[in-house]
Amino acid sequence: MKKSPFPEPWFHGEIWSEKKLDRREFLKKQLKGALLITAGATGIYLPKPILASGVPDIGIARGKPGPAARAAVGLLGGMKSFVKPGDKVVIKPNITFPHPPEEATITNPLVTRELAAMCKEAGAARIRVLDHPVEQAQACIQATKDALSVFKKDMVHALMQKDFYESTPIPKGLKFKQTDVMQDVLEADVLIAAPAAKSHAMTGVTLSMKGMMGLIWDRMTMHRDYDLDEAIVDLCSLLKPDLVVVDATRVLSTGGPWGPGKVLEKDTVIASKDMVAADAKTVQMFQWYGQRFKPRQVDHIRMAHERGLGRMDLENLTVRKIEV
Amino acid sequence: MNFKRIVQTLSFIGFLVFLWLAAFPLTEFIPVNAFLKLDPVVFLGVGISARSFTPFMGTAVLILGLTAILGRFFCSTLCPMGVTIDIADWLVRKASRKQSKPLPWNLKSLKYQILLFILGAAFGGVSLVFLASPLSLVTRLFSLIIYPVLYLVGGSALTAVRPLANFLDITGIVYTHVSMLRFDLQWFTVSLFIGIFSLAVFSPRFWCRHLCPSAAVFALISRRPLIRRQVTKECNQCGRCQKKCPMGAINDDFFVTDHSECIVCMTCVSVCPEKAVGFPGQSINQDGHVGKISKDRRRFIQAGASGMGAAIITLTSLNHLHGDTGPGRTSNPAVIRPPGALPEKAFLARCIRCGVCMKACPTNTLQPMGLFAGFAAFFSPRVIPRRGPCKPTCNVCGQVCPTGAVRALPLAEKVWAKIGTAHILRHKCLAWEFGKKCLICDEFCSYNALDFKMVDDIPVAVPFVDESKCSGCGLCEHNCPVQARAAIVVEPMGSLRLATGSYPVRGREIGLDLNLRRGRGDRLVHYQEESTILDDTGLPPGFSK
Repeated sequence: MKKSPFPEPWFHGEIWSEKKLDRREFLKKQLKGALLITAGATGIYLPKPILASGVPDIGIARGKPGPAARAAVGLLGGMKSFVKPGDKVVIKPNITFPHPPEEATITNPLVTRELAAMCKEAGAARIRVLDHPVEQAQACIQATKDALSVFKKDMVHALMQKDFYESTPIPKGLKFKQTDVMQDVLEADVLIAAPAAKSHAMTGVTLSMKGMMGLIWDRMTMHRDYDLDEAIVDLCSLLKPDLVVVDATRVLSTGGPWGPGKVLEKDTVIASKDMVAADAKTVQMFQWYGQRFKPRQVDHIRMAHERGLGRMDLENLTVRKIEV
Repeated sequence: MNFKRIVQTLSFIGFLVFLWLAAFPLTEFIPVNAFLKLDPVVFLGVGISARSFTPFMGTAVLILGLTAILGRFFCSTLCPMGVTIDIADWLVRKASRKQSKPLPWNLKSLKYQILLFILGAAFGGVSLVFLASPLSLVTRLFSLIIYPVLYLVGGSALTAVRPLANFLDITGIVYTHVSMLRFDLQWFTVSLFIGIFSLAVFSPRFWCRHLCPSAAVFALISRRPLIRRQVTKECNQCGRCQKKCPMGAINDDFFVTDHSECIVCMTCVSVCPEKAVGFPGQSINQDGHVGKISKDRRRFIQAGASGMGAAIITLTSLNHLHGDTGPGRTSNPAVIRPPGALPEKAFLARCIRCGVCMKACPTNTLQPMGLFAGFAAFFSPRVIPRRGPCKPTCNVCGQVCPTGAVRALPLAEKVWAKIGTAHILRHKCLAWEFGKKCLICDEFCSYNALDFKMVDDIPVAVPFVDESKCSGCGLCEHNCPVQARAAIVVEPMGSLRLATGSYPVRGREIGLDLNLRRGRGDRLVHYQEESTILDDTGLPPGFSK
């Protein structure tokens, strides 16, 4: 096993809900981490092979949720290469079920928190963590709200009213050509998708692309009036995240999207600028229903690749891995 | 402001606050339905029509006892209907700028007839308390008309300031949302109150004088209360007291009082220039002048008999909910009762249509019902899943019900209080009929009552309902993406209606298996290895070759 260039993880194996850091302690650790990552990115700390070429297409980090998220983004050049000072950022985790993170149906709140912290360090003027949960909105977002309570600002919101959405054309949509998108997303400078790695009974998997359905008001029409996979690709031609961070710390390998299903403890975070590549890599890396799949076997990933929204030809993409 | 006004104001504020707090999550230890329990017509009408007087009525008895001592103090201090009418009277008088012109005939006995009509109907087994109980009426006004209007206005105000709040990044305001309350049959409440309010042109407190059946009960008890209006010899016959008395309770000689009509508002005391009027604890002089209730027995008997007759006619309605099943029983599939509602007959006898449950319901699914299940069920609450699901983690409707028409169940019991069963209309279902990838019903189901299976000739997995796991909460119907009528609908089929006893126990006896499968704070759901549905290609759901 490759020795991690990073010191011990900052969170020493505590369960997400049991131990609460106070804000000062948390920020101190953030700062320490930020310095290390900066050091890593500038080549002071990282071992040679990782420095060999420029920024990879996909960065994969293994470790505890927070540090792994930070390291995966670090492999792509760190958050500062996505978020400029003064930017408005929307982070879209999957927080659409009122379940504890152990069930792997929502994005691990520690991953979400780390992303928010990194955006803050990069100088984001406004960070909002948004989703459109299916039901019991407050219960759905509570775990994430708790984890992010270390920040002064209340970032986590479930937008359950049409007022928050604005009618938007989808110019590149083949059939699905108009939808109501969260105003915050339309206003944002940076959109970060932070899906949980989950199986999905209708679309095979639900990752960053399927997750974009949580940014619109009426997703029922996608089930009702279109082929779901096609409509997802149409939607993703409009909503393209600047950065995708797939939380595969736990993978819901069966029984998705709602669970309960088989949870694989994988301690992995996958980051990419390319939503198709990130999703494709996630499909390829893990077992789904006890089997291995190629990215092209997920319809919406294949269609997105064919339509040039991103790349699923992993063999031609550069992947860099790190253990933290 | 005198003492009486202060008490009256506090009481009214209390009423409004309690009603406001009748919401999910319920603030514990606050008796949000306390005012409704003070109404003697609720006490008598429900008691007689349900054939049982239960402890909830104790407070009403207490008020009756106090009335024998203090007179109709309730009407001038505690009654929120009285305050509402006072306010309306004031507004009407301001608007019309005219003196009220009294009606030429004496209607004081009308309230007794209304009371007897209601009690007659109650003896006949039909509760018509909702037509005239003042507390039911005023609660309905605020629950179903005033509060929804305030919500809408407040929500619009929030929307108006949202851009500014967003600019200033005040997320507390940006993301506050007011969930709208919307109710059916507003005309009923609104027209009733327009009628009641406009009677102010004839006299102040017209309702309280002539129509209110609870006033009739109080009047019967307060014919000679211990503490009552008396006038000393200082009286100079100026007549102000008589002129100002909102109830018309003072006779032409100003000494004699119709104590049954006096609501102890003390107006006569405050307007008397000679300080000759008082409410002493014991007799002074001039006593013995007591007004008389019109003793027109024939009219009263007629009123009671009419009530009885109305009940009998109601019972012959085709759609009357008799609460049993069998051939020949029509039962409207739209009548889904709230969880924990008593068996239908007892439920209808107890429900006073006050609207507290509807106001408190967090998903706005509880709605007043029209006439499609007969007059006896008019305005009673029903669940409309398309509007909202019955929230699995909420039991507020039973907790706020003042009469026990909906049982106050702890959450663990409520989970088992099955209100109906969902079934799939395959000819509308996106998966069954159109072969589309849709699993919304399963995604939302909190009871794990839906299974998706592959069947012949359909390219996608299709839903099946496991009836024994379905609580009828309607999360599926509410969220079904099919337009107009949903492709999965809840009917009251299989609903569990227990007058007493435990829902889980009875539910298990009849083979139900109702479990909330997920939710924050629930124990972790452990995955059990099961064979995954594979289609002919041997692939798990959602993957292609």
